[in-house]
Amino acid sequence: MTLTETALSLVPVYGPVALLTVTFLSCLALPVPSSLMMLTGGAFVASGDLEALSVVAAALGGSVLGDQAGFAIGRRGSGLLARLGRDPKRAKMLDRARSRLHARAATTVFLTRWLFSPLGPYVNFAGGAAGLGWARFSLASVLGESVWVTLYIGLGAAFASQLEALSDMLGAVSGLLVALLLTVLSGRALLHRLKAQGATPPRP
Amino acid sequence: MRAVLTLWRRHPLLTSAFVLSSAAVLFFAVRLVVFTVYWANPAHRDQALAGWMTPRYVAQSWHIAPQDMAEILQLSRDGQGRRITLAQIAEARGMPLPVLLDELDAAIAAHRAAQ
Repeated sequence: MTLTETALSLVPVYGPVALLTVTFLSCLALPVPSSLMMLTGGAFVASGDLEALSVVAAALGGSVLGDQAGFAIGRRGSGLLARLGRDPKRAKMLDRARSRLHARAATTVFLTRWLFSPLGPYVNFAGGAAGLGWARFSLASVLGESVWVTLYIGLGAAFASQLEALSDMLGAVSGLLVALLLTVLSGRALLHRLKAQGATPPRP
Repeated sequence: MRAVLTLWRRHPLLTSAFVLSSAAVLFFAVRLVVFTVYWANPAHRDQALAGWMTPRYVAQSWHIAPQDMAEILQLSRDGQGRRITLAQIAEARGMPLPVLLDELDAAIAAHRAAQ
């Protein structure tokens, strides 16, 4: 049996418990096929093997708990950031990163739950380490995960007989979106530095 | 060109991040095109029966009425557990899964032909 088939068979055999476990683990950056299993959960809702409410509740519960766990781990690691920040140059850089994260905290957390979901786990760790407010983080996490869960379970139910095609396409789209975002962000930062460089005389 | 080189020398991390993520854009764009072409072909869209599927799932995907499906698989409604996979059925009957899948395939084809 292939790995994909094993993952698929966990859904009908263990039901919502399988979805709760896999969505929890995926929020901690562990390589588990959570998207495929949520699509499968949706397909079994469509076939009448699983209840829509329990599938949505399990996937949402697992992912929100996973976000909280990642956030808590990040918070524990904040001592490491403080130690890194002893060097004044690094402290300046960290401060800048922190203030940027704080300025767009809710939007960043919300969008990295579903539109840029591969980045989600790292935002959890970073958010906890940078000392984001818990309430703001949690609200954005619940809203974002609701979109993710509804989207994947809904698509799984709508295209139940095309799970493999659906999973392939969604995987490619999601990878493309993240790559585009990172290209735009790093490109913008480079352009900024290029302009600053042009303003200063070249070094000997 | 010289400005780009200076940029690379002064910000090696940021420049590498830009180059790598641009390569990733290309990679995923090609993947998306390949998948779209592959799955647009109706011949690739017919899923094969597999052990993780449940009778209801097969009934829904192959457009067979659930009661006909129960008949094909000779399932009795004992009121226990809503979900059972084809792999579990094969195991309970002491038969290899591929044999069950082949039989089911043939039965579905016969059922369709009869309609």
